[in-house]
Amino acid sequence: MYDFNFRVLVPYLPNFASGALLTLELSALAILASFPLGLVGALMRISRHRLARGLATGFVEAVRNIPLLVVLYILFYALPAYGVPLDAFMAGVLGLTINSTAFTIEIFRSGFAAIPPGQYEAARALGLRPVQSFGLVIIPQVFRIVLPTLGNQVVAVVLGSAQASIIGVGELTYQTQSVGSATFRYFELFTLAALFYILCAQLIGVLWRLISGRAARAPLGA
Amino acid sequence: MIASGHFGSYLLLLLEGAGVTLELSLGALILGSIAGVVLGAMRGSRRRVVKALAAIYIEGLRSTPFVILLFLMYYAVPVALNLDIPPYPAAITALSLHCSAYMAEVVRSGIEAVPKGQWEAAAALGLGYPRIMGLVILPQALRVMIPPTIGVYVSTLKESSLASIIGFVELLGQGMAIRESNAGHSTADVLLAVAFGYFIICFTLSRLGLRLERHTTRDLRQGAGAGGTVRG
Repeated sequence: MYDFNFRVLVPYLPNFASGALLTLELSALAILASFPLGLVGALMRISRHRLARGLATGFVEAVRNIPLLVVLYILFYALPAYGVPLDAFMAGVLGLTINSTAFTIEIFRSGFAAIPPGQYEAARALGLRPVQSFGLVIIPQVFRIVLPTLGNQVVAVVLGSAQASIIGVGELTYQTQSVGSATFRYFELFTLAALFYILCAQLIGVLWRLISGRAARAPLGA
Repeated sequence: MIASGHFGSYLLLLLEGAGVTLELSLGALILGSIAGVVLGAMRGSRRRVVKALAAIYIEGLRSTPFVILLFLMYYAVPVALNLDIPPYPAAITALSLHCSAYMAEVVRSGIEAVPKGQWEAAAALGLGYPRIMGLVILPQALRVMIPPTIGVYVSTLKESSLASIIGFVELLGQGMAIRESNAGHSTADVLLAVAFGYFIICFTLSRLGLRLERHTTRDLRQGAGAGGTVRG
């Protein structure tokens, strides 16, 4: 039987702490960038301008059908050849942002699709200009509809951030691997890493429900 | 840039890689579906312990990054069991596990889509749970499950690109090998070609899934009028 030995790992606690912190930083940046971009992209996708719609649709289709790792490799290995040097962290943030934006566009788009047409008509009947009806009537309701799905997207970004380790971002997965090659306690290490991500996902779920709170539970006006 | 003379042979290597990618993820999808049916049925069970076990498995796997799962299979399990696991078995096991959690959810929602009357009718015929599930519910649920299964296949296929980091040569692995053999001079071309390869495969599959989904929802809506049955 395999002997678990967690004590050997104690001296490496600072590595895990800094790795976990970087995981959260990386994810937070990608989420903060991709959520507003996703809203803009969704507005483009439902817009009447063919160019705007085409650009947003093309972006979503391209990103959703290419693995995140390939996007990370392109940013990290291929862009420098075109004179755009990105360090691993920047490439990681950018890759995750691109990926998350595509999925967030789809989330917001389905939110817009769920708004009854009567809401648009009512806003116009009140004499609101398009910007006002979107800003004051439609988008607040869209937010309520998409809040739970956005929570899932936050979790997806945190899980995806583990792939940034592959281009050398020193986040949790990277630290786990490097401590593994020093101690050879791979079993304990990767079990702990898995638990870290599972715990993160659960915590985000609970926090998200707390934050969304009343907004998500309140009934929608038909 | 790639020297034009090599272009043909590189293309051949990438096509071969794409074949390996399709095969690896299809293998994982099949294994994952088998486990997914069992797990999905467990989640629908009335026994609390069975239900909870399935829920923990599904939730745990769905919130573990695939990279970690892959490293667990490739680095951790060999250390723990004192055996050697080559890249291919490690990759297909990790992918199947990952896939099974998602397939379980597909199976569960497929089962939920079958009208309650079917359960009652089957029970009235005197069938027990395994038979109701196997003979009545699952065959009807299968129809609804096909489009989301294609979705799982696409996401499994994308995740399979991570197998390249443990040294398994599929589409991305093939691309990175070509890049290395050119001392990094062809990086952009090769990576874009690889990205294009994944795009073509995934886009085609996604479209197919969408078309099938439209069919199914239309049939379901028509079926709902006639007593809510799904014709298989």
